[in-house]
Amino acid sequence: MVEFLGYHRPDGRVGIRNRLLVLSIGGLTGPASRRIASSLRDAACVVLPYEAGLLGEDKEIHDRAALGLAEHPNTGAVLLIGDNPKVLERFSAELALARKAHDAISMDDCGNDVFTLVSKATQSGARLIREMSRLRRSPAPLSTLTIGLECGRSDPSSGLVANPLLGRVADGLVAAGGTAILGETVEWLGAEHLLAKRARTPELAAGILAAVKRREEAAIAAGVDLLGVNPTPTNIASGLSTIEEKSLGSTAKSGRSRIEGLLGYAEAPVGPGLWVMDAPAFAPESLTGFVAAGAQMVLFTTGVGNSYVSALSPTVKVSANPETCARLDGQLDFVAHTGFDGSEAPEALAERLLATVADVASGTLTWGELLGEGDEVVSRFGAAL
Amino acid sequence: MGPRGFDAIALAEADHVATVLRDIAAGEVLVVGCADGEVWVTATEDIPLGHKVALTAIDAGDPILKYGSAIGSATEAIAPGAHVHVHNLRSDRARRRTD
Repeated sequence: MVEFLGYHRPDGRVGIRNRLLVLSIGGLTGPASRRIASSLRDAACVVLPYEAGLLGEDKEIHDRAALGLAEHPNTGAVLLIGDNPKVLERFSAELALARKAHDAISMDDCGNDVFTLVSKATQSGARLIREMSRLRRSPAPLSTLTIGLECGRSDPSSGLVANPLLGRVADGLVAAGGTAILGETVEWLGAEHLLAKRARTPELAAGILAAVKRREEAAIAAGVDLLGVNPTPTNIASGLSTIEEKSLGSTAKSGRSRIEGLLGYAEAPVGPGLWVMDAPAFAPESLTGFVAAGAQMVLFTTGVGNSYVSALSPTVKVSANPETCARLDGQLDFVAHTGFDGSEAPEALAERLLATVADVASGTLTWGELLGEGDEVVSRFGAAL
Repeated sequence: MGPRGFDAIALAEADHVATVLRDIAAGEVLVVGCADGEVWVTATEDIPLGHKVALTAIDAGDPILKYGSAIGSATEAIAPGAHVHVHNLRSDRARRRTD
């Protein structure tokens, strides 16, 4: 039984990192929040650019994503920064309920003096970090892990080797009682009938087909030829010809497990198993959808190379393209070119990747963490006031 | 040629195309690993690593199968050994406005 060493949180979840999250609720305090986080050890900074004026679904998604990131098991404490103390109080109350250590400092509390804000928040952040540093890692089963499945700048090695490899690991995680999430709805297009067949209920199958149809109709209504946009020019240069071909390779990341449910953007699964999230495919938005839903880690395959990672959840970069594995040796966490040339069997590769998952979950840094390539970007769909 | 001895791979039995595992020059005879063993095909043109080679003759308008599913339709007749890509294969999805 594979175990890892994690941080056991008061809400019962297990973190694989112990970070202070400096969370700017609204873009007015974004630059100050970045300065605060940059002077604190182990701090991750997330700036939610929108706040006032968001309407309907966007307001709901913004709040759900903000709370999902703040209560995330990889955060040991949260420093809420914003302009409006009333908004911060609302989030503080939720964090108190979740028993997450936190502090909130608004521009109003500081007489709208940004020097005072940075000074007070940096001091508060230092105290929070000192306190959370008392927590030690202890053993946790794989069943406590939720992993997001992503691909970016794909090429045929993704569909042939790297994505089926993630599928095997996702199947292993699900069999161990863990949770996996497949997103990127537009990349189900052409493969949605195969996903629908794996749905737990007929209603879910219909939901998966409808989610794809909505994206396809939105593309048609906007006059977008998906052949011209997806596959991207990078995909096409590397040999992918159509969205169907990309989708069949992309959905291989989800393995063969039964699909338990269809999630909205940044919506957390209510149980273990494989879930699908109806969400944009662009990696910055897609990864934040997984992370805000509680994913402690992301497995991210790439064909030609893609440096983007989540700020909060270690993102394991996997490639099976022999040329990419050689060129980006220092920026890939798992090289699978041995699956492309056939010198390593798929079962052996999957076992090795699962060992890497446990290793990273226990604290080994990913290249993305070392290089500081992380960010979080919450999707916004409609107009604002 | 990789350790498995294949120049290209087709993952499903009924596939019309295989993915080449290295840069291929026109005239080379390719050993293609398939679900049920191997087939041979002569490349009629240069094909870059990761791109697709036709394993059979495909008529214009016919669906092209990879991973056992349609990845689009042929826009012209395609001969065995030809490079299959955006010049002779088109998506069947989300392109009503542009037809």
